[in-house]
Amino acid sequence: MVGHSVSSRRITWAIASRSLMLIPRVLSTFIPSLVMPVFLTIAMAGAFSGLVLLPAFPAEKALDWFIPMTTVQGAAFAGITTGMGLARDLDSGFYDRLLLSPATRGALLAGPIVASVLRATIPLTLLVVIAVVSGATFHAGAATVVTLALASFGIALVAGAWSVGLALRFKTQQVAPLMQTGVFLAIFLSTAQMPLEYLTGWLHAVARVNPMTNVLALAREGFLGEITWDGTWPGLVSLAAMAALTLLFAARQMRRVIP
Amino acid sequence: MTALTQYAALGRRAVINTIRRPTAVVPSLLFPLLFLALSSAAFDRTTTIPGFPPVESFLQFVVATTVIQGALFGAVAAGADMATDIEDGFFERLLASPAPRGSILVGRVTGAAALGFFQGILYFAITILFGLTVEGGVVAVLLVAVTAATVAAGIGSIAVAFALRTGSAEAVQGAFPMLFAGLFVSSAFFPRDLMSGWFKTVATFNPMSHMIEGLRHQVIAGLSASRFLVALAVAGGIFLVGFTMAGRALAGRLAERA
Repeated sequence: MVGHSVSSRRITWAIASRSLMLIPRVLSTFIPSLVMPVFLTIAMAGAFSGLVLLPAFPAEKALDWFIPMTTVQGAAFAGITTGMGLARDLDSGFYDRLLLSPATRGALLAGPIVASVLRATIPLTLLVVIAVVSGATFHAGAATVVTLALASFGIALVAGAWSVGLALRFKTQQVAPLMQTGVFLAIFLSTAQMPLEYLTGWLHAVARVNPMTNVLALAREGFLGEITWDGTWPGLVSLAAMAALTLLFAARQMRRVIP
Repeated sequence: MTALTQYAALGRRAVINTIRRPTAVVPSLLFPLLFLALSSAAFDRTTTIPGFPPVESFLQFVVATTVIQGALFGAVAAGADMATDIEDGFFERLLASPAPRGSILVGRVTGAAALGFFQGILYFAITILFGLTVEGGVVAVLLVAVTAATVAAGIGSIAVAFALRTGSAEAVQGAFPMLFAGLFVSSAFFPRDLMSGWFKTVATFNPMSHMIEGLRHQVIAGLSASRFLVALAVAGGIFLVGFTMAGRALAGRLAERA
């Protein structure tokens, strides 16, 4: 049993490593996931710079409001590109060979999900550097980055599990828009664009119950003020619930997939 | 089969190909509508900020952007479909057939333009049901849809060029957000008067700002021929650049094959 578990870990790591090695090899698929959050940061902080003119807007600068959201989005993209890579392997028949190997399904599933989380370090690092260079406000000092990282890694796991589940379900690269749609919906049906008190009608009602609102609050905590446990735990609980659901979905698809 | 019927057949195939794949058509159709619904609910209170142009609602301010966004989404599907044709070997079979090489390109681009036009009409029909007032009436709707079709043809050409260069549907899908760059660094989502610094300068020089503002004027203020012509000129420029890129990419691929 011990030998079996070590072997599974090695398989997981080998699959995750392969996914990471594909970053430089298929650069055209990864670069957009890196450039897009950077671009959105610049575009949203620039285009909506006038938002701070609204009374009681919680951020000093539009950058402080948007950069945590785009970082979380970058992490989500990292998960999606991992799922897209898996869909390509399924399309090409490479994954069928893995499914026919003695590797456990759990190890095959864990590989791309671990890769999603590891891939998320790249946009996170880049956006933190941009935040520092462009003068974002780090109210809580280094701890600002800790809560941002927690939110980012958590979302990378959730988006990775969601995308991997969809890839296994449809076994084609054509499912990529569906992967993106799910993640976009989760992010934008929340306080991604504006604080809850400024949202109107149906969006206010949805954002209030969307767990992503708590995750974004976690990511933004140090950019808008001091970090407190009361401001942190709802984000952590929401991440745990989302991860449990998406992992369950991915595991279900993995059990069903036939080479 | 005449050359014209071959062009028409490939254009028809491009449209049917897109429509038959719900995983491609649903996000392309619904995403811009979703963004519209989201931004209307999120930014409606910003219309009270001093300096915001006089509008009934944020929906009225941003609907022209949504139509152009829809055209962009549909256009990317044209590129992804071309890449799929390359991946599954259909592109090679087309080259082996007596069909004119140009029809491969024109068929895809025409398909993208047709989808862009009808998507535009559909978006207006839906938003009017939700209370949108178009000050320029039916003519304004048609003018915006024609511009959207031209943009779709241009961006579709760029996506096709990318597909011909990479031969990968994944790469085309992955690159699609980049195509929205021009739209984001413009006044598509917020008035230029409320921007500041270098971003405002970039948005002022960005032709997309002038295209969107020209179309927006038809919706929020009423018909204006001069403003429409500015918008159409920008869309025509995108088409010319895109189609040239696609033509070169096709020639390059054919040269590699030969």
